[in-house]
Parts: sequence; structure tokens; C-alpha cells
Amino acid sequence: MATEETTSDQLGQSTALRIQQLKGQLFEVALVAATLVGIVSLLVLFAQISNDAFRPRTASSTWFLVYFGTLVAPTAAFTLYARRRPAVRTANALAFAAVFGGLLLSFVTYVVVDALSPYDVFIYAFFASLPPVLVLAYDRTTDERTYTGPLIPVSIIVGVGVAALVDGPISGPLGVAAEWIMYFGLVTVPAALLVAWLTASRRGRRTGAVAGGVVAAGGLAVAVASIAAGVDASLPIVVFSAFAVPTGYVTWWSVKTNPEGRVGIAGPFVILGGVLLGASLVDRLGIESPDSYLTPTLILESWDGLTASNAGVYPQIVGSIIIVGFMAVLAFPVGIGAAIYLEEYAPDTGLRGRLATLLEVNISNLAGVPSVVYGLLGLALFRRTLGFGTGIVVSAAGTLGLLILPIVIVSTQEALRSVPNDLRQGSYGMGASRWQTLREVVLPEAIPGTLTGTILALARAIGETAPLVIIAVATTKYSPPSGLFSSATALPLQIFAASANAKPEFRHGVVPAAAVVLLVLMLLMNATAIVIRNKYGRTN
Amino acid sequence: MSKESESGVGSLQRSGFVVRKERFYGRLIAACAVLTILVTVGIILALSGRALSFWSQISPIAFFTGTSWSPVIAESYGVLPLVSGTLIVTVFSALIALPVGLAAAIYLSEYASDKARSILKPALEILAGVPTVIYGYMALVYVTPMIDSFLPISVQIIPPGVSVLPEFTLVMPSLGTFNALSASIVVGIMIIPMVSSISEDALSAVPDSLRQGGYGLGSTKFDVSTRIVVPSATSGIVASYVLAISRAIGETMAVTMAMGMSPQMPYFPNVLRNLAESSQTITAAMVQIAGADSYGGGPTYEALFALGLTLFAITLTMNILAELVRRRFREEY
Repeated sequence: MATEETTSDQLGQSTALRIQQLKGQLFEVALVAATLVGIVSLLVLFAQISNDAFRPRTASSTWFLVYFGTLVAPTAAFTLYARRRPAVRTANALAFAAVFGGLLLSFVTYVVVDALSPYDVFIYAFFASLPPVLVLAYDRTTDERTYTGPLIPVSIIVGVGVAALVDGPISGPLGVAAEWIMYFGLVTVPAALLVAWLTASRRGRRTGAVAGGVVAAGGLAVAVASIAAGVDASLPIVVFSAFAVPTGYVTWWSVKTNPEGRVGIAGPFVILGGVLLGASLVDRLGIESPDSYLTPTLILESWDGLTASNAGVYPQIVGSIIIVGFMAVLAFPVGIGAAIYLEEYAPDTGLRGRLATLLEVNISNLAGVPSVVYGLLGLALFRRTLGFGTGIVVSAAGTLGLLILPIVIVSTQEALRSVPNDLRQGSYGMGASRWQTLREVVLPEAIPGTLTGTILALARAIGETAPLVIIAVATTKYSPPSGLFSSATALPLQIFAASANAKPEFRHGVVPAAAVVLLVLMLLMNATAIVIRNKYGRTN
Repeated sequence: MSKESESGVGSLQRSGFVVRKERFYGRLIAACAVLTILVTVGIILALSGRALSFWSQISPIAFFTGTSWSPVIAESYGVLPLVSGTLIVTVFSALIALPVGLAAAIYLSEYASDKARSILKPALEILAGVPTVIYGYMALVYVTPMIDSFLPISVQIIPPGVSVLPEFTLVMPSLGTFNALSASIVVGIMIIPMVSSISEDALSAVPDSLRQGGYGLGSTKFDVSTRIVVPSATSGIVASYVLAISRAIGETMAVTMAMGMSPQMPYFPNVLRNLAESSQTITAAMVQIAGADSYGGGPTYEALFALGLTLFAITLTMNILAELVRRRFREEY
């Protein structure tokens, strides 16, 4: 009897155990499902959007075969090869950053400068950079450096002021010079100086000067070649300086320092070459390619509300870039400054300690204020109080700047908080002042964290629509903004306006394609931020 | 932290200029911080001035209790239909996001391996990063037809023939072009990361000794997660819920695009009809007024600011509430 009882007892227990186990497993499955449900449904929606934008079903199967052969298979083979070789992967990552970063930089620089007029941009850049360069040169020659630090920002402000004064009288005579000379000054000269400085710090002064000279001479050669060929030299110069120079530098640097992994440099070129080869094959053989809406027309033309095949969002893309760029100039210094005050300066106790607590609470509340309300603030501030025109770049940038201020502050605070206190104490112990400690020790350590937060803030700003609607930014414009006080439009606004268009070629064509452009911009920014965070994060 | 120039030894003292420079930088940075207060003050001033002028023409009682919103045609400014629209979206998106977000937080904090977490966390954050105008577009063009293909559904709660009770059938009608359901779904997806990331922080902050104690008493992982960790982190979870709901209330583009512009009082008793039909939220009404370009002034334009102030007051209250919950019930370990 006794033995029987124990067995039945054990049996009961094991059934109870099994139920427990099953319950736990079911719970875990439910949790995984809940974690994935949002991600999966978003992916499904993205798939539908890209299906409408690319329309892969309209392509013939040969088209897929060609691109599989030229692009997918080589890339996959290369990825497999690089997977187990860390040296190759390092070189590959560097080359990727240089090639695709360079292409993006060339595009952004060219469209922005082209929209704002190269002559004006050149005048402002020249007068804003000359005084600080002179101050730095003076700083090199003397030991009396007390005043040079504060003099640099002051000289920049003075330079911008001078530029604003002389812009009118100078831009007339300057207009005689060809546009490409402006681009040479704006892009090639800084690229040459950067290369010279980087090389000089690693290989000595003379090599640096030679490298810089080579870059400048290369720029001139490109200009001469394109003039000889009868094309406008502006775009070739920008592509040379912002794409070819960094790619060349990274290639040279990887070959020198990382001989094991130098095959990795080929990574981005496998993709670029695959795309070009595929395109030329498709063109030569007359293969039926997909009837996609994501075409050069979409990116390079202006909007057409009647014919879908002519509709483009070039003014909207450039407007978004200029608005968000100027917003960064306005908001980041203030946001980073406020974060530094709260983390490094504000005391914990006393009246000013209370003020700091109030500031913290206020910032967390501002982060929760709906974006439409910021639109109303922008409307009241820029339109009513300052009397600016409707929907100009400055108001849009200012409104978005106020909106992202709390995000910038909070992420910078986190970055500053992760800098170990020992570093600060060490710096104070060596006699550095608070500002010196901040500038030389704390801020350099906090750069990756700050960068991550600011890029995420940019990604948020580029998709923001509601505040722009409230401050009455125009939805459709046919040219990009020509200056900071000219009216602009933005990509998300066009998507909002065009979503009302019920024609199928808009609803299931152009608008999804524009949405893909916006999503790619935003995902690129997010990915950059995540890469920076993973690379530099949590070093402690 | 560092009290420089207190030693009094002349050679160690910084020059007057350096001291002044340091002080100047300190003040410049403090000015940046104080600017954030000015933003709040600016919002309140910008909103209240015009809102008060609006309420001097339209009495606040009529505004807050009126059941008809038709600023242009009938010049009636009753905010209740808009509040109803906002509530519908908020409630249904919360029904999606709160449980899902909490479950995701429990998974990430208690179950997930480091590798899974390093992929899933950024992926979840992308949900909040997608521009809301794209969410609105997807709701209008893809979600609505997708769901509509299953509709209408009618469920007989009380079948006919039961003599005591009247027959009652719950009907989910087909969706209109603009409807609250698709808007609620995308808003729900959008606020999942708000719940999951703040809740996960709260769950991870529960010290391991509590978990170990639970295991020591023979609890399963399920019991430890649901009976020890989650209750210990209640304050953080509640705070995340309040913040997510506040975000849903303030959401603008998705609801404007997917839910349409026709203010409605809620339908009773078939609540599901509210989901299937178009309605208008407070934020969508603001977009409509701003888009109508009626900048001549007048009560319609000023109503924009009255709505903004109402919205600001609601979200501010909720944010403060979340902060209070977090502070009041914070577990000190």
C-alpha cells in the first residue's frame, strides 16, 4: 500500500510539474509573439509599400536572373568570404563608410549648395572660416593663448556678419567667375586641407603637404577635363572631392595598415559594379525591367499632380535637408549646452539645485508635449511675434528645433553621465579648470553618445509633419528653397497632401515611392546611430 | 565641484581674465538650460492669449459641453465630439499596445538572450521612429482594405428564442474609407516601444536578489516573472502606460489621414460601430483648421489655440501624473 501511494503521489507531482512546465513554455511563446507582433506587422506594411513602389512583378524573369548574377550572387559570395575574416570585415566596413558616405555627401552637398546659390554659400563660408583660421595661426605662433579660445567663436560670428554686409556688393563681381570655382573653394579646398592634416599627423608635414597638393591638383584636373569634354564642371568636382578623395584615402590607408584585409576594400565596389553591370546588360539586351515608380524622375524632378510618371519630389527632398540641417545648427548647440549645465555645472542642493530639478522636470514634460502644440508655438513665435513670412525655412527649422530640444538634451545628458568621474577628478587634480576639463576630457569622451542622440533627433525631425502643417508650410512647391528666408516644403508634407489623391497610380505608385525615399532616409540615420552606439557604447 | 582660486597663494591663482572667462562660459551654458523654461512659458503664453480671446467670444461652458463641432458651417464649437474621437483612438490603441508592450518588456528583461535583446531592442525602437505620416498612409491604403476583407462580422451574444431576454447581436460593420479601427491599430503599433522600453527599464531595475529568493523558494520562472518581478516594477509600468496613452492622445498625422474629418458623438450601444466609421480627433481638427488657411483671425482660427491649450493641459497632466506615480511608488532597494 505504502509503495503504491508514493508512486501515485510522485505521478501526481510529475503531472503538476508538467502542467507547470507547459504553462511556462506557453507563457514564453506568448511573450515572443508579443515582442514580434509589432515588428512583423510593420515589416508586412513595409513590404506592401515597397511592392507598390518597385512593382517587381512587372519585370520579366530574365531581369531577376541578370541582377541575381551580377549583384546578388557576387555580394553573397563576398559576404560569405568576409564572414570569418575579421581583418577583411574591418576594411570592408571602412570602405563601405567611405564609398556610400561619400556618395551621399556628394549628393547632399551639391543639391544644397545648388539650391542656395554657390556664390552666396561661398561668400559666407569664406568669411566665416577665414577669421578663425587666422586666430588659429596666431595661436600656433604665440604662447599667450588666454584669449584665442574665446576669440574663435567671436571671430566666426563677426565673419558671418561681415559676409552678410558684403554679400550684396561682392556677389555681383564674383558672378563673373565660373560656378565650378565656387565648388572648388567650397568642397575641394576643405577636402585637400583635411587630407593634408590627416596625412601630416601620421606621416609628417612634408608628406601631408604633398597629399593636400595632389588632391587640389586632382580637383583642377577634373575641372579641366570636364570643361574640355564640354560638361559643367561643378558636379564632377563635388563628386571627386567628396567621393573619390575619401575613397582613395581609405583605400590607401587600408592597404598600408591592414594588408591582410585589403580584399575587404572591394566590398562596396562589388555592389556598385553589380548594379552598373546589371543596368548596362538590361539596357543592351533589351530585357523588360520593372515598371517601377522609384525612378530618377521621382528623385530629380518636381511634383506633377496630374501625370504620375512625371511627378518628382526633388524640391521636397532638398527642402527637408535644408530645414533639418539648419535646425541642427540652431538646436544642437543649445541642447548640448543645456545638458552640460545640468550634468556638469548645476549643484544638487540650494536654490540653484532646486532650479536644476525644475529644469529636469520641465524638460521631461516638454518631451511629452504633442508635436502639434509645438506647431502652435512656432506659429505664434515666428509668424505673430517676429512677423516672418508663411512657411519659410527659418520658421520651419526653428519650430522643429524647439521640438527636438528635449531629445537632444536627454541623450546628451546620458552620454555625459556615462563618462567616469575618475577622469574628471584626474583632470582637476592636474590643475585644469572646469571648462578645460569639460573641453579636453569630458566632451571628447561623450562624443559617440551625443552623436547617437543627435542623429536620432535628426531622424525624428525629418519625418515630422504636424508642426509644419500648423505653421502653414506649403505642401507643393516647384523649386527648392533659395535661401533661409525663402519658402520651403518638406517630403512628409508632400506625402500627406498627395495621400488624398485617389488615382491608383498615385495612391499605389508615386506616394509609396516617396514614402520609400523618406523611410530610407530615416532608416539610414537610425542605422548610423545604432552602428555608432554599438561601436563606441559602454566602454566605461 | 572644483573651487579654484581658493588657496590664496598668488602664484596658484588664475588670472582675472581666466576666472571671468570661466564664469562667462558657465553663464552661457546656464542660459541654454534656462531657455528650456522659456519654451514652456512660450507655449503657455502663445496658447493662452488666443485661447482666452476665443473663450471670451464662445463661452467655455458651451465649448466643453457642446455636442456639435462644426466651426465653419454652423459655427458651433462643442468640443465633445472631438474628445470622443480622441478617446476612441486612445482606448483601442491602448488595448493593443499596453499588453503587447508589457509582454515585450518581460521577454526582453527576463527571457531574452543577450543576442536576441541586441537585435530586438533597436528593432522595436524603429516602430516609434517611423514617421507618423507614413503610418497614416499605411493605415489608409493598406490596413483598412486588409481588415475590411474579413468584415462584416456579427456575433450573436444572446440568440433569438430566449424568451426572457431580447435578442442581441454584436455587429462589426464593414469599414468606411476613413475609420477609427485602422488608425487605432497603427497608433497602437507606434506606441508599443514607449511601453516596452520604459517598462523594461523598470523590470531590469528589480534587483536579482528578489529573483534568486523566488527561485530559492522553488518558484518557476513563470512565477518569478509574474508574481515577483512585475509587481515590484508596477510603478515604472504604470508610468510607461500613462506616457504611452499621452502620446496616443497627442498623435496627429496618422489619425488625421486614416480617421478622417467628420466629428461624431459616440454611437451606443453598438460600440464597434465607432471603430468602423470616420470620426475626428482634437489633433485632426487642429490640422483641418490650420490647413484651411483662415489666418484672418476670427473665432475659428482662435479655436485652434483653444484646442491646443486643451490638448496641452491633458498631456501635461498625464506626464506629471506619470512622474508622480514613478516617484511616489518607487521601490527603494
